Amino acid sequence: MKLKSLLVACAIAALSAGAAQAQVSVKIGVLNDRSGLYADISGEGSVIAARMAAEDFKAKEKGINVEIVSADHQNKPDVGSNIARQWYDNEGVDVIMDVPTSSVALAVNQITKDKNKIFINSGAASSDLTGPQCTPNTVHWTYDTVMLANGTGGAMVKAGGDTWFFLTADYAFGHALERDTTAVVVKNGGKVLGSVKTPFPGQDFSSFLLQAQASKAKVIGLANAGGDTINSIKQAGEFGITQAGQKLAGLLVFSSDVKALGLQTAQGLVLTESFYWDLNDQTREFSKRFAARNNGKMPTMVQAGVYAGLLHYLKAVEATKSKDTATIMAKMKEMPTDDPLFGKGTIRVDGRKMHDAYLFEVKKPSESKGEWDLYKLISTIPAEQAFRPLDQGNCPLVKKS
Amino acid sequence: MTTILGVPTAALFGQLLLGLINGSFYAILSLGLAVIFGLLNIINFTHGAQYMMGAFVAWMLLNWAGLGYWWALLIAPIAVGITGVILERNLISQLASNDKIRSLLFVISAILTFLLCYVGIGWSEGTSLAAALLVGAVFGAVWAHVARERISTAEGHVDHLYGLLLTFGLALIIQGLFRNAYGSSGLPYQIPRELTGGQNFGFMFMPNYRGWVVVASLVVCLATWFVIEKTRLGAYLRAATENPTLTQAFGINVPRLVTITYGFGVGLAALAGVLAAPIYSVNPNMGADLIIVVFAVVVIGGMGSILGSIVTGFGLGLIEGLTKVFYPEASSTVIFIIMAIVLLIKPAGLFGRAA
Amino acid sequence: MAEAALATRAPAAAGAALLSVRGLEAWYGESHVLHGISFDVGEGEVVTLLGRNGAGKTTTLKSIIGILQKRRGSIVFEGVETIRMPSRQIARLGIGYVPEERGIFSSLSVEENLFLPPQVRPGGLPVERIFELFPNLRERLSSQGTKLSGGEQQMLSIARILRTGARMLLLDEPTEGLAPVIVEQIGRTIAELKKQGFTIILVEQNFRFASTVADRHYVVEQGRVVDMILNSELDQNVDKLHAYLGV
Repeated sequence: MKLKSLLVACAIAALSAGAAQAQVSVKIGVLNDRSGLYADISGEGSVIAARMAAEDFKAKEKGINVEIVSADHQNKPDVGSNIARQWYDNEGVDVIMDVPTSSVALAVNQITKDKNKIFINSGAASSDLTGPQCTPNTVHWTYDTVMLANGTGGAMVKAGGDTWFFLTADYAFGHALERDTTAVVVKNGGKVLGSVKTPFPGQDFSSFLLQAQASKAKVIGLANAGGDTINSIKQAGEFGITQAGQKLAGLLVFSSDVKALGLQTAQGLVLTESFYWDLNDQTREFSKRFAARNNGKMPTMVQAGVYAGLLHYLKAVEATKSKDTATIMAKMKEMPTDDPLFGKGTIRVDGRKMHDAYLFEVKKPSESKGEWDLYKLISTIPAEQAFRPLDQGNCPLVKKS
Repeated sequence: MTTILGVPTAALFGQLLLGLINGSFYAILSLGLAVIFGLLNIINFTHGAQYMMGAFVAWMLLNWAGLGYWWALLIAPIAVGITGVILERNLISQLASNDKIRSLLFVISAILTFLLCYVGIGWSEGTSLAAALLVGAVFGAVWAHVARERISTAEGHVDHLYGLLLTFGLALIIQGLFRNAYGSSGLPYQIPRELTGGQNFGFMFMPNYRGWVVVASLVVCLATWFVIEKTRLGAYLRAATENPTLTQAFGINVPRLVTITYGFGVGLAALAGVLAAPIYSVNPNMGADLIIVVFAVVVIGGMGSILGSIVTGFGLGLIEGLTKVFYPEASSTVIFIIMAIVLLIKPAGLFGRAA
Repeated sequence: MAEAALATRAPAAAGAALLSVRGLEAWYGESHVLHGISFDVGEGEVVTLLGRNGAGKTTTLKSIIGILQKRRGSIVFEGVETIRMPSRQIARLGIGYVPEERGIFSSLSVEENLFLPPQVRPGGLPVERIFELFPNLRERLSSQGTKLSGGEQQMLSIARILRTGARMLLLDEPTEGLAPVIVEQIGRTIAELKKQGFTIILVEQNFRFASTVADRHYVVEQGRVVDMILNSELDQNVDKLHAYLGV
């Protein structure tokens, strides 16, 4: 509901008992899709995650006032840009977080640089955020197209899927994902037999799936997201494509997509994420607290990234007792990251947050022990293998250093 | 292997068949729109939302009542059709009325009931919405009875624009409610066990379910055509479409006919939604994505033309299928290009009568 | 009041009034067209409304059948006040309406047109009887309604309300624009219907035709009934009538 979500402001730690101690006030803007395609993977859940970060950090006790605001960018770059400018110019927002949808993220990336504020992205996929378009003001936290390609793409090739055919959503994100996955496939000795650009958003993919089938490729790579991915996977099952031996590679699949497909349809699907609620005791503890506040829905990796990103930012604020952009960014990159959801890691000079990624397989209905028991872990991909090497991203910051 | 423009003929057949299947959805949906437009002179922008509601009701029936696909095929169109009837009675038909209190009463009582059920009692959005519509309908009906002496519905039609804006607004409200309740990524729905699997035709693998969709939609379209063109009820409908005033002067209850027709058109949309649930993503935006194409189909076929909407629905499905083979990037635009050409050459549409 | 006096002059032949109109006012949108029409029609009578173009004759018929919603006054049919009823209810009381433009539906075949109006009362003419009256229709049942000639359309328009059991017919200029042969045939039909006991209100410009079928004539001028002439006294009143009609 756009009206409701237009501006849901929440003041945390407004009346601090230790007011005398309060030295810094920071304002966090969570900008994401609250009504459309990506509302489930980011949306209100990301706002909840941000609030939990402020609470868990005990910001109030440490003398940091955290105020969190949120807005709906409707997946439109112009809408997102306007909100970002409004926030930075008039409302004193210091940090914008989340921002799924690559086109919006790239726009906010530029504005943040111009206004010299801080942008901690969790929701967007495009690896360009830490590539040609990298800025000193942006951290790309959770995942990117390279990680997805390395994870799912690399694993499929190694498992023998050495010939590929892509169904690519015909816009910037799909193209980037196909490009990065192609590179991984080729590097691992595989071959791309062809691809078809599908109009976005699409309903019926059967025609494209038949083309993929006719190519005789061992793997059909789905370089799309959300409803497109769900439709492709549903229809691939219907047309007996997976039964006939071809494998589907869902390059960007979130747990919410798996829920929407149902295990019956999604079982066996291999996918890459950097967070899953059921990874370890720490993630389980957080996720259960989170679900209690989010209508019983477990956090997605995007929401987890918002939590962890804000936690790290607050640590930098605490350490520097400042909210000067350059000071904080330097501190965030200098200080190793450590949080319950992504474990230990670092932020590279190009803004890339480095952490392990995980290759999961969707469970069979018979293996699932509960509504949210969706994945089994196949392998852990170390951060250095998951993400693009620093020197290959054409990030101007890297050349300078 | 023989090829046409570099595409094997066998593959081409496969793609044509797929086009026909998509055409089935276009046909059912545009048929519903055409029926509604013919009689109400309203472009029903809520159609996409009602298609979505059909799919969601199927999901609800399965998960709340344990009723499977075949029951859904029967119940969902009726249930969604009833909501359509309530909206038509209390809002759409009131556009032409001199008494706005009924609409106002309907809206206010529905909103209050929704808040009471949803916030107060804590029912789910779906149940609260149903309760709100029913209570609103009761208030509306009571008022209509109390004030029946004063109310007159102006003869003739109101400007298209009002109906369009009203139904568009309703669509946004419905989609928003469903998104709030069920999220944006959608819900799972399986193909019924009887229709899993498929036939291998040699040139392609034809899932049984798709075959069923084509047959079902052909039957529904032809039955609708038959009822409208060949029966007494259909004659009433056509007469009321052509000259509602005179039809009314013969003692035929035209307002009721209008309501039934709207309910039927909405039911068709819901039926398409149930048919789509096992193969398309069931999410609150599923109708919004599809409906724009369907509007183009209706425009090409000729506003209000029954046969036109059926033939163009299937025909454009085929053309779209071919485009997906030869130039996939254009497959979502080809229908609109055809629409532009048709509008230039024959503004009333291929099967439409000139106004 | 002159009007009341005119209206209450008892119908010549028949008994109590079947239809009684009092002080009928009606509007098209904002324009006030009828300013208090009053007249009575007795059971089994054929009554015409005569008057110049725009005098309010057609409007009077439309008000009786209820097509014109903005109306005031009183219209009592068989003891039932209909002034607030929608047209579909009035039709159900047993009033059949033949509009001036004939109202044949182009999207319906002749047969469908014929069977369109629902039966409102028992005792409508059987189809066979209708085909006897209008033999042309039988051969053209499957044609599109508007493919008929003007005369055939007029016959169809009358034929379809004979089926319904309506005992009172409102005929709006049934002879307009038709060839003399057809006019004669319609005249015979009306006479035949009268013989069968139908009550008919006929709007006519052609008072020669009217004089061959009607019992009485009401003269309408500027939305009021200004005179009533018995058909038997028509000869004495020809000059007066010419003055009214501006012939």
